[in-house]
Amino acid sequence: MQAMFDQIGTVIVAQRARSVRRVRVRIGAQAGVEPALFRTAYDVFRVRTLCADAPLDIVHVDASDELVLDQLELEVA
Amino acid sequence: MHERILAGNDRVARHNREHFHDHNVIAVNLMGSPGAGKTAILEATARALGPEANLGVLAGDLATDNDARRIRAAGIVAESITTGSACHLDAEMVHRGLHQLPWRSLDFLFIENVGNLVCPAVYDLGQHVNVVALSITEGEDKPLKYPLMFRKADMVLITKMDLLPQLHVSLEDIERNLAAVMQTPRLLTVSSTTGAGIGEWIRWLRSIGQPRPLACAAPAGAGRVV
Repeated sequence: MQAMFDQIGTVIVAQRARSVRRVRVRIGAQAGVEPALFRTAYDVFRVRTLCADAPLDIVHVDASDELVLDQLELEVA
Repeated sequence: MHERILAGNDRVARHNREHFHDHNVIAVNLMGSPGAGKTAILEATARALGPEANLGVLAGDLATDNDARRIRAAGIVAESITTGSACHLDAEMVHRGLHQLPWRSLDFLFIENVGNLVCPAVYDLGQHVNVVALSITEGEDKPLKYPLMFRKADMVLITKMDLLPQLHVSLEDIERNLAAVMQTPRLLTVSSTTGAGIGEWIRWLRSIGQPRPLACAAPAGAGRVV
């Protein structure tokens, strides 16, 4: 989760965003990541960050080990 | 944007792998549940291979340096990576750990991962091979319960085989379950206590070749929606 928030932080700086509106990740069935627990961790991590109001969309991918930050919707100035 | 969430770890793992390749060090990521016999395997490996090759160990644990002390007592260099609350090693921890070892002079570096059959399988450390220690006392169904761990394994060591006569465990069922999840099932039965199978394990270690190709992360995109 920390790795994903590091990536989001990098994008926020690069895009000069004010906040994140929405986050989408893709989780493969063989990624070794339980989507429900991932969502719980996200809800803990996002408190008092620029993702605080950003819903998390999880795209489940069968027969794949991918774990990907797929898309961010940003609020820009 | 479509960027692997563990892309940062993968970059450090790639760096580790380049180090190992440049210095002809074979890196073995040894995983398994707590009590599977990982440290005992390394002690047996030290006895069997230590006189002929330079071995080193980075031992990951949530707390204590007990494993590293045991391995040092077996005559090979070993340092601990104490992870605190983290249930796995990552590539950065291994990179920092390398600074504690004379790793450039090693023939084999064993990375004893934190005892856990889930998270360690997710993190590339830069190793050449993944080895999973599965003790015969853990029963037949672990490969089916933790398929990712065994799917990622290049070799499974069925440990504590000297205990088999005392147990109601079917080795054939373990083999069948491994075959159900591993693309290329490969296992050895060993006992660190009696030394049975350790010779085959050493021969397999000697057969390990060059690192696998490096995985490439997708580049990040730009724009408002990324």
